[in-house]
Amino acid sequence: MHWLYVVPTLIINFAIVLIPALATVLLAFCNFDGLSMPTFVGLANFEALAADRVFWVALGNNIIWTVIFLIVPIAMGLLAASMLLIARRGSSFFQIVYFLPVVIATVITARVWQGMIYSPVTGVFGVLKQYGIAIPNPLTQPSLALFGVATVDLWHWWGFLCVIFFAALRQVPQEQIEAARIEGATYVQMMRYVMLPAIRPTITLLMIMTVIWSFLAFDFVYILTQGGPAFSSELLSTLAYRQAFYELNVGRAAAAALVISLFGLVGTFFYVRIQAREGEQ
Amino acid sequence: MERRTLLKAGLGLASLPFMSRLAFGQDAKPVNFWYESASPENQENLQKLLVEAFNAKHPENALSVDFRGSDLDKQLRVAMLSGTGPDVVYTAGPSYVAAMAQAGQLLPLDDYATKFGWDKRLLPLFLDMGKYNGKLYALAKTYETLGLFYNKTVFEKNGWKAPATIAELETLADEMKGKGLVPFGAGNADWRPANEHYVSIILNSVAGPENVHKALMGEIPWTDPAFVASIDKLAEWWDKGYFGDNYFSLTGEQAFGSVGTGQSGMAPTGTWNFSNVGTYFTANQQEAGFVGFPSLKGDPVYALGVGSTFSINAQSDNPDGAAAVLDYVFSPEFYSTVNSVWQGEWNLPLADLSTVKLSDKVLPLYAETMKTLASAVGEGRYGYTTWTFLPPATDTYLVSGMEEVWLKRLSSTDFLKKLDETFKADKEAGKAPAIPPRA
Repeated sequence: MHWLYVVPTLIINFAIVLIPALATVLLAFCNFDGLSMPTFVGLANFEALAADRVFWVALGNNIIWTVIFLIVPIAMGLLAASMLLIARRGSSFFQIVYFLPVVIATVITARVWQGMIYSPVTGVFGVLKQYGIAIPNPLTQPSLALFGVATVDLWHWWGFLCVIFFAALRQVPQEQIEAARIEGATYVQMMRYVMLPAIRPTITLLMIMTVIWSFLAFDFVYILTQGGPAFSSELLSTLAYRQAFYELNVGRAAAAALVISLFGLVGTFFYVRIQAREGEQ
Repeated sequence: MERRTLLKAGLGLASLPFMSRLAFGQDAKPVNFWYESASPENQENLQKLLVEAFNAKHPENALSVDFRGSDLDKQLRVAMLSGTGPDVVYTAGPSYVAAMAQAGQLLPLDDYATKFGWDKRLLPLFLDMGKYNGKLYALAKTYETLGLFYNKTVFEKNGWKAPATIAELETLADEMKGKGLVPFGAGNADWRPANEHYVSIILNSVAGPENVHKALMGEIPWTDPAFVASIDKLAEWWDKGYFGDNYFSLTGEQAFGSVGTGQSGMAPTGTWNFSNVGTYFTANQQEAGFVGFPSLKGDPVYALGVGSTFSINAQSDNPDGAAAVLDYVFSPEFYSTVNSVWQGEWNLPLADLSTVKLSDKVLPLYAETMKTLASAVGEGRYGYTTWTFLPPATDTYLVSGMEEVWLKRLSSTDFLKKLDETFKADKEAGKAPAIPPRA
C-alpha cells in the first residue's frame, strides 16, 4: 500500500520526463522535420553526425568546457568559501555579492558582457583600446570565442559553488578544526588535512554535476555567439538546437541529444558508484 | 455596520468591473499578432496606425500586437510546432513559409484573396512568391532590395562619386582605407544572418541574376565557377580589410550609424535601413545617398528580397479577424500612413500606388528608390536574395559557412560544395520556396 503514495509523482515523471525522453530516443532513429510524419531510418542520423565535421568540433568544445568548469569555478569556490569561513563577520554580505550573478537572468548577463565589456566600440575593451591596451573581443576570434563565453558563464556560476561549499564547510565538526589549530596547522594544512577531506562528498557531487551540466551548457553560447564565429564556439546543444529549429532536422538533433545524454549517463554512473561505496563505509 | 452587509457591499463593488463584460452579449473577438523588434517610436506608430485604426474600423475584432524582439522567429517556430502561436503569423520570409505550409501550420489564403480582392490589389510576382504547391499561404509585407548606402556629404567633401562597377567600388574602398575610413560599415553582432546580405550582394553582382536563377531551379550546381569567383571576391574584400576589424562586434544599427558619423564610407545593406537614416544621417547633418549595388558591367543589380510575410495560423480561433487585419494592412490607406513615419519596413507590394500620399517629412531619396525598385521588378530586372529564395537548411548553412571562408577555415570551393549538397537535400525534401520564372 505504501507505494501508492508515489503514484502522483510517478505520473508527473512519466508525462513530463519519461515519455518525451523515450520519444527523443525513438526520433533519433527517424527522419523527422518536426512538422510531417517521421520515417524510420535506423542509424543514418548517427552516421551523418559522425561524418559531420562540426559535430566533432562541438564535442571537443564540450570536453574543453567540462575541463574548464571542473577546475576554475570549483577552485575559486573553495578558496572563497574558506575565506568566508575565516572572515565570519562579512560573510553574509559577501555571500550575497557572490551569489548575485547566479540570480540575474542569463540573457541580461550575456548582453551586458557583450555590449558593455567585450565590445571594442561601446564596452570596457573599447575604453582600454583608447588608452592603448588593445585586447581583441574574444567573441570575434575563433581561437578565443569559446573561452570568452566560458568566462561569462564562469562569472555567473562560481558564486553558486561558493555558497554551497561555504554551507558544507560550516558543517565540519568544530572539534576537528580546534584540534588542528591547537596542533599549529597553517591555513594550507588546515584545508588539506581537515576541511577538504571533510567536505569530500560535496565536492564529488558537484564535480559530477559539473560534468553533467557542462554537456547541457547552452544559453550563454547561444545568446553571445550562436556557436560562431565559424562554428568555433559550437556546443552539442547549440548544434542540436540549430538542426531542430533551423534546418528542420529533428531526427539528427535527437541523435545529438542522445550523445549529450550518454555523457551525462557516464557521469551519473560514476556518482552512483561513489555514493554506494561511501554508503558502505 | 453588520459584517454580512459589508461583505455583500464588497462583493457588489468587486463585481462592477465585470459588469461591462456581462452587459454585451458579444465581445470583440481577439486577434493577436506577434511582431519583431521596433524602436519605441515605431511601436507607438504601429499601435496608433494599425491597432487603434483597425479596431476603430472593425469593432467586432480586438487586435493586439505583441513585440517579441529579434527572437521572434525562434519563439514562433516553437509556438507553431506546439500548435499555439498568434493568429497573424509574421515570418522572416518565403523559405520559412514553405516549411510551415508543408507542415500544415498555415491557412491557405486563396478564398480570402478572392473575397477581398487581394489577387488584384497586389503585384502578381509577390502573389507567386507566397504560394506553395499552387496554394497561396503568405502575403509579402515588405519587399526590399540590397544596395549601397553612402554618406553624400563625405563623398562631396572628398570629391568621390558613387561607384557603378566593381572596379570603381574597389578603387574607392582602397582610397577610403588610405584616409582611415572603414570602407564598409558592417556588423553582425546582433543578427548573425547579416552575413547573407553580403553573400546575396556578391552572388548577384558578380555571378549575375541569370546564373543565380539557374542554380535555384537546379539547372546548374552551386559549385559553378561563376559562384566560386563570387565567393572568392567576397573573401578578397574581407582580406583587404574592407569590412574593418569590428565586424563581429558591431550591431547592424551601430554599423549603419558609423556611415552617418563618417567613420565608415559606405554600407552595403538593404532598404530596411531607410528607417535609420533620420537618426544617424539627418540628425548629424549628413546627407544619405543610395544606389543599386555595383555590378561587373555597371548596370545596377536589384536583388529582390521579401523581408517578411504575413500568414494566418491554421490553428487560429479567429481566422476571419486575422484576414480582416491583413485586408486592412494591404490597403493604400495604411501604406500611406505607415510609410509616412516608418520607411523601409512596410513597402507593401501594392499594384496601384497612385492613391498613396506620403507625408512631406519622408526622405525624397526613399520615395525615389522605391519607385526605381518597383519599375525594375515590374520589368523583370531583379536579382535574388538568399533569405527569400533559398530553402531553410541551405540558408542556415550559408550564414556560418561564409564565416568559415572569411576566417580561412574553409575554402570557397568546399563551402560551395557543402552548400550544393544541402540545397539538393532540401529540394528533395520539398522545402524549396517558389521561384517565379524569369521574364
